[in-house]
Amino acid sequence: MSFLSSVVVHIPSWSVFCQALIALLVPILVTRMYKKLHSFVGNGRNLETNKTIQSSVSTPEVMPFSGDYQTDLQAIYSRIGSNSDLHARELPIKKLNARGTLFCVDGMQNERVLNMRIMEFLMFEATDGLLAGTVKSEELLPFNNLSKVSDIDIFNRSVLFGHAGLLIEGIPHGLLIEFPNGTNRSITEPVSEALIRGPRIGFSEVLSENTSLLRRQGFSDQLEMKSYRVGTRLQKDLVLAYMKDIVNPDLLQEVQTRVSNLNADFLADSGYIEQLIEDNYLSPFQQVQNTERPDRVINALLEGRIAILLDGTPFALIVPVTFSMLLQTPEDYYERWIPSSLLRMLRFGAAFVALMGPALYISLIAFHPGLIPTELALSIIETRQGVPFPALIEVLILEVSIEILREAGIRLPKPIGPAMGIVGGLIIGDAAVQAGIVSPFLVIVVAVTAISSFSIPTYSAGVTLRILRFIGMIFAAFLGMFGTILFFLLLCSHLTKLKSFGVPYLTPASPFRATDWKDLFFRAPLSLMKRRPAMLKTRNNKRK
Amino acid sequence: MFTRTDDKITTSQAAVFLTNTVLGAGILTMPRSITQEMRTPDSWLTILVGGFIVMLTILLMVKLSQQFPGQTVFQYAGRIAGRLPSLLLCLLLVVYFILVAGFEIRSLAEVTLFFLLEGTPIWAVIIPFIWAGTYLVLGGINSIARVFQIVFPITILVLLVSFGFSLRLFDFNNLRPVLGSGVLPVLHGLKSSVLVYTGSEVVMTLVAFMQHPQQAVKAMIGGIAIPFALYFLTIVFVIGGLSIDSVINSTWPTIDLIRSFEITGFFVERLEFPLMVIWLMQMFCNFCSFFFQASLGISQLFKFSVTPVIYGMVPVIFLAAMVPNSIQDVFALGDAIGSMGLALFLMLPVLLSFIWILRKKGLKQHV
Amino acid sequence: MYRYRQLKMLFLYLLLPFVLTGCWSSKEIEDLGMYTGMAIDIGQPAPVEKEFEMKGAEYSKHNKVMTTIQIVPMKTVRTKDKSNTGTNKPYLNVSGSGDSILEIFRQFSVRLDQPIIGHHLKVIVISSKLLRKQTIEQVTDFVLRDNDIRPSTKVYISQGEAKETLESSERNEVPSFHIAGMYRNQMRTSKVLDSVTLSKLDALMKTKKSFVLQNLVSGGGEIEFSGAGIIKGSSGHWIGNLNQEDAECLAWMTNNGKAGTIKAYDWDNQPLAYEIKSMKSKITPFVNEGKISFKVNLAVEGRLIETWNKNNIPSTNYYAEKTSQIVEEKLTQMIQRLMKKLQSTYKVDVAGFGQRLAIVYPSVWKQVKEDWDETFSRSEVNFTYDIKLTDFGSFTEKE
Repeated sequence: MSFLSSVVVHIPSWSVFCQALIALLVPILVTRMYKKLHSFVGNGRNLETNKTIQSSVSTPEVMPFSGDYQTDLQAIYSRIGSNSDLHARELPIKKLNARGTLFCVDGMQNERVLNMRIMEFLMFEATDGLLAGTVKSEELLPFNNLSKVSDIDIFNRSVLFGHAGLLIEGIPHGLLIEFPNGTNRSITEPVSEALIRGPRIGFSEVLSENTSLLRRQGFSDQLEMKSYRVGTRLQKDLVLAYMKDIVNPDLLQEVQTRVSNLNADFLADSGYIEQLIEDNYLSPFQQVQNTERPDRVINALLEGRIAILLDGTPFALIVPVTFSMLLQTPEDYYERWIPSSLLRMLRFGAAFVALMGPALYISLIAFHPGLIPTELALSIIETRQGVPFPALIEVLILEVSIEILREAGIRLPKPIGPAMGIVGGLIIGDAAVQAGIVSPFLVIVVAVTAISSFSIPTYSAGVTLRILRFIGMIFAAFLGMFGTILFFLLLCSHLTKLKSFGVPYLTPASPFRATDWKDLFFRAPLSLMKRRPAMLKTRNNKRK
Repeated sequence: MFTRTDDKITTSQAAVFLTNTVLGAGILTMPRSITQEMRTPDSWLTILVGGFIVMLTILLMVKLSQQFPGQTVFQYAGRIAGRLPSLLLCLLLVVYFILVAGFEIRSLAEVTLFFLLEGTPIWAVIIPFIWAGTYLVLGGINSIARVFQIVFPITILVLLVSFGFSLRLFDFNNLRPVLGSGVLPVLHGLKSSVLVYTGSEVVMTLVAFMQHPQQAVKAMIGGIAIPFALYFLTIVFVIGGLSIDSVINSTWPTIDLIRSFEITGFFVERLEFPLMVIWLMQMFCNFCSFFFQASLGISQLFKFSVTPVIYGMVPVIFLAAMVPNSIQDVFALGDAIGSMGLALFLMLPVLLSFIWILRKKGLKQHV
Repeated sequence: MYRYRQLKMLFLYLLLPFVLTGCWSSKEIEDLGMYTGMAIDIGQPAPVEKEFEMKGAEYSKHNKVMTTIQIVPMKTVRTKDKSNTGTNKPYLNVSGSGDSILEIFRQFSVRLDQPIIGHHLKVIVISSKLLRKQTIEQVTDFVLRDNDIRPSTKVYISQGEAKETLESSERNEVPSFHIAGMYRNQMRTSKVLDSVTLSKLDALMKTKKSFVLQNLVSGGGEIEFSGAGIIKGSSGHWIGNLNQEDAECLAWMTNNGKAGTIKAYDWDNQPLAYEIKSMKSKITPFVNEGKISFKVNLAVEGRLIETWNKNNIPSTNYYAEKTSQIVEEKLTQMIQRLMKKLQSTYKVDVAGFGQRLAIVYPSVWKQVKEDWDETFSRSEVNFTYDIKLTDFGSFTEKE
């Protein structure tokens, strides 16, 4: 009986059972919502149904040249003739006694070359034999590019993209004779990834220049670049670059499938690609690295990674990426190993501060006054007297204003930027303290946090940490230190689940790969780094 | 293959998994529980002896599990002892895992409420913690092992640093005389020193998940050696710093040790802050391990898919954590779990290997 | 974009319950009153309380103890100019009397505008008069059980009223910090004993061993460490004081003090100061047919640092020997005085003889453990000294 009664005593009350029910229901609900959201957004991404897309790309009906000069000319005019920047110059071809038309678009061709060389050649030198379409004759033409196009639509598109197009009476296809030669930005230093020491060259918007920058990194016959056309409406060139004898074939296969499955009508920047090929789009962490630096790309390629370059953007993508890569800069390898190792550790510390700083402040100030050193507690009390807000609100006020300041700083023209920083940072901060809205101690915390987040080399990783910082603050405001730890553990759990193209995001810290630790928190001397990262399972492991 | 689809863990992960499973609430309470039994400063000897006994048992469990590659105890027990008895045994093991998970999370809540969050309702501590655990456990053994690998080095580092600083209190005389009252108290404390290794039963499932099961002995002995060393250090430093008379009456002696000094001029003057942080993280690992084992047991015994079992386990563990009415109940539960663990130690590996050897011999004779 | 709006809404809904339930344990640090010092005195209503009681504000109690806490920092009204606000002290002492320390604390809660927290308690001063009436276990039970108060809090005894030690005439000084900081002088003189923290106190009380607590004397708004108060282990009461020199000798004997000076009078009856550089003591117990005796060896190294003798003392071995002789005589005298106090006046072992015996002869210790203080006072203790004079400071004088 006594056993029974002691059992009865220990049966929890009904409220505990209710809590148990809630404890059960919430995760189930959250999972279902997550799944729903995932499948909902997943529809737009169309990773699996690649067949239909490819067919839809190739479906537009072919409209071949008829061979009759007048009809073809009419067909071209009717399709693109209404463009005011299209120039069509009809010219007689003397030796052939035929007519021809040269098409080009404003600003895309060197006018002088067109006038002097090409037209002169066509009008006075071109013979029947040269343009008759026999195989040999093409080699005799004085153009370095000449391709035949048998489809009017493709001809039109190419002309509008900037090629010089030629239509000649009696030849049943169009000729494209010059590459587009529009104005370009000159190659400049990469803005978002400045270095003190190292190459100052950055990618530009032209794909061919970018690939040439990669080629110019060194002599190799193993650097392979494969070109793809992407986009359903406005098509663009995309290049996959990798080292043929290093990259893991499975990884290459995976990247190729994902790239060929891209489903978007236009890809304005490589950011589009990043979002469409990443593994988990609900994660706050980026799973693809973007860079403007050719040296960074080539180093990644030598490690066995794959680069994705898109026409029209200076940002190349590198896959797969791990968390530690986001905190490394190429300079780590250019400087000697001792300073670079120390700087790297400093960056890890800064990342931690950027993520946890305000959360720790809230939990210590509002929950655990007993964990602060006495002297510090005293000075905090003295400075916080008269602050009317609870810690969370106080931190939010300052953090949000810093974020606004940062956002405003990007928009402002360069000469005003620093002035803005001074006004915002110094004057508002000081005034807020004077007015008693925030405590001076908090200003220190927020400033250190902000500076720490600037020290992260990859801009987008810094943004991630900034977002997560706010979540951490909410956890801290809810459960103090316990909440902060919970937040950290959740983050760890999430990161360990995350993969970038099959590589666990936290490698080599976990799963633990001792050999890759040489290049994690510290950078071993170069002579020790004779092997490629084990996590990439490269074809040949030794660097030689 | 570039992408690994099999849910296997490496040798080092297996070792860390075992370490994190064993290293739990004990690190805070163990000096008291053992000293209470012994009342002499020789507890460190007991820990050593108890550790060797546990190592032997683990060796036995590994050898047994290696006979059935790729199978956990829930799967191979049936092949040894027959369907029904093994089902009962394994259910007992699952209940044991659930109770331990509940116990760990309850002690966590007690410490948190006592030192960190006075005034917060207990469910507000327990439920978010279980949810976070659920999120991790849903990722499978690989994710769990990876989180363990992150937390583990931090734990070791902070623990050693804290103990190092406590050297200022350390008085070697507190650990003397050695064997002043003879060997008897050492044997007396043996039971409670075996109890601190609660959780080493996971070896019987862990071996099945190993990528290279032939290295299981190395991994498991390595995995138990770390808590073994840490427990040893803990008891030496706590008793050396506080003396047994203070330890006997202290609810959380290890925290008391760290709270007994301040490092003025250091940024964290009070080391209980980092200690509590790593202990909470350690408890999370510990809890997730038992959570995972219990879910795995149910799903393998009854051939359910594991995801719904994990969800179903949430309220069960919550209730298990809420059953004790007071901290005395919690410690009573801890003792009960310890005895149960001892019984399971005897029943599962010893009994199963006994039957297994008998059967094998019988087979040979028949042939 | 549509999908992000969905995501945001989802997050908002998830956050809603958290915002609604709020943060239970959240207490802003500036709204709390940290007390850093605590004094426990004989029970008598504090002056303010007397006034309250006259007006009928009372509750049932027997006034067994009076507790004073020191709250820092004082709330200051923010002024535009940063100049000091005037004569305000940086601390606030609140006293109350009653039968339970916690009850007194809760009584403070009906008087103060901020909840008090004990995380930053640095020192507890207990009046020796109170310890005559109450045992130290009773008085410190609450502080040992409480979860806020850290076991690193230092415990002292005061000769007069404990409350007075928490007052200071210095304007910008917090007396409790002052007391806590005085410990740093241990490197200069062994008159500052090893501080007894709550965790140590707990262990000492549990073993029923006698022990000493540093004695605090206050006067004229200043405080001094003056020797030590002896707590008798078996009863838990205060039984008497050791004076400063005794305390110093005790520290040397127990290997806890390594600094200090020995002042003696030389052959011309002029003061001579010997600065101790190292001091090692070794207590060896002997058990001979049930008779317990101890041998103590004190090995001292030091230098001659000050002499008032008109005739210079030349730096020779001869004079080194001679000075050592004088120092040894003085030390012997001091130690004998201490031993007399311990063995005959108070009959307590506070110098760790028992512990040495327990380590070397555990079985003998078990028999005598119960009334060790008595046994100790009957045991024979022999001293040997080993005094070295290493140098004469930065002077080298010829004969």
